[in-house]
Amino acid sequence: MIPLLLLLLFLGGCEKLETVFVEEDLLQRPPAKRCSDCHADIYREWKKSRHFHAWTSERFRIETENYAKVKCLACHAPHQVDPGRKPELRAEFREDGVSCVACHFKEETKSMHGPLKVWSPPHPSKQDLSYTKSSFCASCHRETYKEWKLAKVERSCQSCHMPSLGKRDLIQKFPFHLFHLAKPRTSHEFPSLKARPEDVEVRLEPGKIVLTNVGVPHNLPTADQGDPKLYLLAEVIYSDGRRKKVRKILSPQSKTALAYREPREIRIPPGEVKEVRVKLLRRLAWSEEKELIKEITLRTPSP
Amino acid sequence: MKAKALIAVLSLSGILFSADKVILKKPPESLKKFYPPASQKFEFLSNMYSMSTAFYGINLNINEGNWKGAKEWALKLKKTYIETSKMVPEWKDYFKPKLADNLVKAVESKSVDKVIEASKKLGQTCAKCHADNQVAVKLVYHFPSFDNIKIEDPVEFMELETGKYMKKLTNSLKALKVYLTQGNVEAAQEAGANFIERARQLRSMCSKCHTNKLSEEVIVGKEFEGHLNKLEELLSAQKPNREEIFKTLGSIGMSCSRCHNVHLIPALVQEAFKK
Ligand code: HEC
Ligand code: HEC
Ligand code: HEC
Ligand code: HEC
Ligand code: HEC
Ligand code: HEC
Ligand code: HEC
Ligand code: HEC
Repeated sequence: MIPLLLLLLFLGGCEKLETVFVEEDLLQRPPAKRCSDCHADIYREWKKSRHFHAWTSERFRIETENYAKVKCLACHAPHQVDPGRKPELRAEFREDGVSCVACHFKEETKSMHGPLKVWSPPHPSKQDLSYTKSSFCASCHRETYKEWKLAKVERSCQSCHMPSLGKRDLIQKFPFHLFHLAKPRTSHEFPSLKARPEDVEVRLEPGKIVLTNVGVPHNLPTADQGDPKLYLLAEVIYSDGRRKKVRKILSPQSKTALAYREPREIRIPPGEVKEVRVKLLRRLAWSEEKELIKEITLRTPSP
Repeated sequence: MKAKALIAVLSLSGILFSADKVILKKPPESLKKFYPPASQKFEFLSNMYSMSTAFYGINLNINEGNWKGAKEWALKLKKTYIETSKMVPEWKDYFKPKLADNLVKAVESKSVDKVIEASKKLGQTCAKCHADNQVAVKLVYHFPSFDNIKIEDPVEFMELETGKYMKKLTNSLKALKVYLTQGNVEAAQEAGANFIERARQLRSMCSKCHTNKLSEEVIVGKEFEGHLNKLEELLSAQKPNREEIFKTLGSIGMSCSRCHNVHLIPALVQEAFKK
């Protein structure tokens, strides 16, 4: 390995090294697969993310009538992501959805922008701290970003949806990875996450159930164009033995989602209530599955 | 003077359609292949724009005394016209290739009168087809379909197509009115609660076509929400005030009709052509 390294270094001195190893095609908007030649781990994570599915998603295809609804396309196959600006539709490799190149390559500097200071011979890189801020996500997650701002919390979108993986190698390509130290890595799976039972407070008050989102610093659920849902299933048992069911869909698109720390009252049919059994489930925008978030039995008076 | 007249004739003939009646015929099968999902290129429509541009090119060049330029556009128009006549066999008879050729000859003769005459004749073939077909084609191929839109019923937790959902929504509304009229309070309250939930959920369909929240706001925004909240309030009373409830239902109905005014006609035409 050492001789190889030396050989590399002798190729015309250090100044030129920056240009000698540039792989030109990386600056010509290649498909995401090309990035995996070196960033194999990050690529593998991204393939599991919804950003990878943004264009090929069957639901998206159907709802856009086979991509005929033109105004729907730009966020699902963007050309370049700049905080505060609506993206434009990309011309090439749309099946990559929200891709590496779209998020990291900037036409203005012809280089990869990212959160770190790196030495990256195959392509120029530029440290750009906007990558660590919520506003980076806001050009597409517009509504969610607005809700998050209202919540006035410190934590960024990235801190929850791109959790830290500790220090790791950014590249896996032999032998280049030997020249680089491990650096802070963040998960490119962009996990959707799931509210914990304690994130939603459920209380019983006379004539109503009161739900409060105390843990997720945006609407629960939140959406721009997707249609995720929260399902409330309650069985009300009265002192006289009568039972009544209360069912509700709480969804961002019907403007009934739970805003952060804003109590939501749900009426229950009148009568002397003995107990209420409440189940809260969620369905993500792209999934058919209903997942349980919380199950609780409430009695009067509520503690 | 003559050049001015030419502009007037040209802009009337090809592009606008001045029908005193609008006929809706189902667009022919073979047109399908020039529209999504079969093609993203809108080849038929794009030929239309080429012909319209060519008409304008003739007009503009003659105004500037450039007969050579005018002839190039006339030849382009003829070529596209003939090409288009072969795209949809069912519409073959609308085209009169001879008239396109006559227009080229008229331009060659450098006589403004002849060009006006030939343009008018050719333009009439455009206008005839537009009067018969344009509206229907617009409605079928340019207005998104409500058929692909599913709304989840908040009472039964089931995804339904728009038409079926509307039926359920309306049935709970009718049930509310019937029980209320009969004085069956508990049943009215239950039907009312179902209607309110279903009406609230209507808004979840808008984002499947609209990306601007303002479009939603004007029809099913705060005002609509306010009326639904009021209805909920009225129904929860021990002795619901029937008159007030009917009044509130009237206000809610305004939003329904506004939405129908904008969307229903295209939806009905699409539906009719599917059969
Ligand atoms: C401003 C950017 C933007 C535009 C424009 C946009 N979307 Fe999306 N879309 C998103 C985001 C962000 C999500 C992720 C979930 C969410 O926040 O709604 C999403 C999610 C979705 C989903 C759910 C995920 C899936 O793949 O099943 C569907 C379906 C969808 N969009 C359809 C559409 C349709 C139809 C249009 C046009 C009417 C559209 N989108 C326009 C940003 C956008
Ligand atoms: C031939 C190998 C190679 C390929 C292919 C490659 N990169 Fe890199 N990239 C590197 C190296 C080396 C680094 C620096 C690694 C280090 O310092 O640990 C790097 C760093 C980065 C960074 C971090 C920048 C920062 O400042 O935080 C980004 C972002 C990046 N690459 C994006 C991409 C994208 C997008 C592609 C595909 C278009 C790609 N890379 C393809 C070698 C490669
Ligand atoms: C170029 C537009 C764009 C940008 C920028 C963007 N996203 Fe997304 N995001 C989308 C789209 C579109 C989807 C939906 C993909 C699908 O499911 O079809 C999505 C989906 C997601 C999801 C999954 C949501 C679900 O329904 O499960 C998460 C989480 C997410 N994005 C987080 C982020 C974070 C965090 C950032 C900022 C670092 C970010 N996104 C930046 C467009 C974008
Ligand atoms: C939705 C936009 C988005 C997409 C798609 C995306 N990234 Fe990133 N990437 C980011 C953001 C934001 C950060 C910074 C996260 C932080 O530090 O909080 C980042 C960080 C990085 C880093 C620095 C190390 C790390 O893990 O934080 C590298 C390298 C990188 N990305 C490469 C890639 C490659 C390669 C792909 C495609 C396989 C890709 N990214 C896809 C937004 C994106
Ligand atoms: C404190 C952590 C936290 C922060 C900060 C945060 N989120 Fe979330 N987010 C969550 C949790 C938890 C969920 C899962 C909610 C559920 O159970 O459906 C979620 C869900 C989502 C979803 C999927 C739709 C849904 O509600 O289920 C999207 C999209 C999303 N977040 C985007 C963002 C964006 C964009 C930001 C920044 C503006 C952000 N989030 C900030 C914790 C967070
Ligand atoms: C056989 C029928 C037919 C003939 C002949 C025809 N058109 Fe059309 N034209 C159509 C149809 C159908 C549309 C609507 C297409 C659409 O909207 O996708 C249309 C649309 C157009 C439009 C676009 C209008 C708009 O605003 O969308 C123009 C311009 C046009 N035609 C010009 C012409 C000219 C000029 C001619 C004659 C030289 C012509 N057409 C001959 C059927 C015809
Ligand atoms: C199947 C697709 C579809 C759905 C679903 C849909 N619309 Fe529309 N709507 C359209 C089209 C197409 C137009 C014509 C103008 C345009 O293209 O935006 C339109 C026009 C409008 C307009 C007038 C123009 C404007 O944008 O202000 C309003 C208001 C409107 N819609 C409101 C709504 C509301 C509210 C909903 C939900 C209850 C809804 N629409 C659902 C397709 C749809
Ligand atoms: C998107 C805006 C929109 C709103 C808001 C809306 N509708 Fe509709 N409605 C439609 C469309 C589109 C159709 C045609 C559906 C089809 O047949 O495919 C329809 C059809 C109907 C039908 C005929 C159903 C049938 O096939 O028998 C009834 C009845 C109806 N709506 C009642 C209502 C009532 C009551 C409300 C208000 C509480 C309402 N609608 C609100 C768009 C809307």
